[in-house]
Amino acid sequence: MKRSALFLGLIVVGISMLLWAGWHNLRERKLAMQKAQQNRVELIPDKAGQGGQSTVEGEEPHLRGKAAPGFALVSLDGKKVSLSDYKGRPVLVNFWATWCGPCKVEMPWFEEFRKQYAGQGFEILGLADDVDAGKDAIAKVAHKTGVSYPILLTDGKVQTAYGGLDVLPMSFYVDKNGLVVEVTAGLGTKDEIEANIKKTIASGTAAGPTKQIAGGL
Amino acid sequence: MRLGVMLAGLIVGCGTLVAQMGSLDAPAAKPKQYVVFAAEPQTLKAGAKSVVELHFRVMDGFHVNSHTPKSELLIPTQVTFKPADGVKAGAAEYPAGTSYSFSFDPSEKLDVYSGEFTVKLPVVAEAGQHTVDGVLRYQACDHAACYPPKSLPVQVVFTAK
Repeated sequence: MKRSALFLGLIVVGISMLLWAGWHNLRERKLAMQKAQQNRVELIPDKAGQGGQSTVEGEEPHLRGKAAPGFALVSLDGKKVSLSDYKGRPVLVNFWATWCGPCKVEMPWFEEFRKQYAGQGFEILGLADDVDAGKDAIAKVAHKTGVSYPILLTDGKVQTAYGGLDVLPMSFYVDKNGLVVEVTAGLGTKDEIEANIKKTIASGTAAGPTKQIAGGL
Repeated sequence: MRLGVMLAGLIVGCGTLVAQMGSLDAPAAKPKQYVVFAAEPQTLKAGAKSVVELHFRVMDGFHVNSHTPKSELLIPTQVTFKPADGVKAGAAEYPAGTSYSFSFDPSEKLDVYSGEFTVKLPVVAEAGQHTVDGVLRYQACDHAACYPPKSLPVQVVFTAK
């Protein structure tokens, strides 16, 4: 009898310890999850050995190596512009907003590179993310940054197609075959941007037959 | 002996159940926020002019525009409140921002909140417990990127005695 009671007591203690361990484990997991959520967005080098390109972890869309989603948008001067209009040319699709300081820093660099690599057919499309700011405000900022490449007014759908855009600036480097060869989130250095442009121009040069591009490109 | 086997089975079953608890109540994904609201119940004098404080904290490494940013293009931090029964609220009072420049553009001075900041809401409340719902609208950046404007729901609970 005494032995059974002792055995039963040990069992009760064992179950209690298991329940406590389970509760403790759950609490630890919740804390770890909260911590991971808080630290999810942080600037990290894009790839080791590439000079610390500024990108935002977890915010780079999954489009690298895939066909650039097609779009047809209206430009600031009222023209309809489609990505498919640039078929066969390397294009930088850059999302920006009037309230985004880092965006306005790189835009003059883009303009400079656009002129420098125009001979290779390179073009830039600036997609204004904050259409609610109004055409005038967008035009004012575009003018102030000195850009002459097409500034397009987004329609909400294009942001979704390009991954939701939880961070700006966001750039998609699209080669002449319509494939996204590089994606950057956040401001990189001027050298990094130029390297990406060169990579985009070089990509698809010896690709043979043009690949089928989704979305009308 | 039979009792021992049964109890051992029970222990294993309990352990498995407990181990699954974490996945059963996993929280749903929430929109990413860069500012957190510290809800603190407050007590103030009924029928008299009082101030309710709303304490916010900007996540480390980020900043948000102050209520009075230096450019009309920038989105100011602002709290809007819904009317609440028994509470007359005045215009919210915002702290001054601090000067900030991106390292890549030192010439442009911004006016921002980082770390903790407090918004004060003047109120005259009837006796009793009150809940005022509101929304903080802000736009955050870090040192190399900016994030679309966000809305953070806030709930201010206070007792007027």
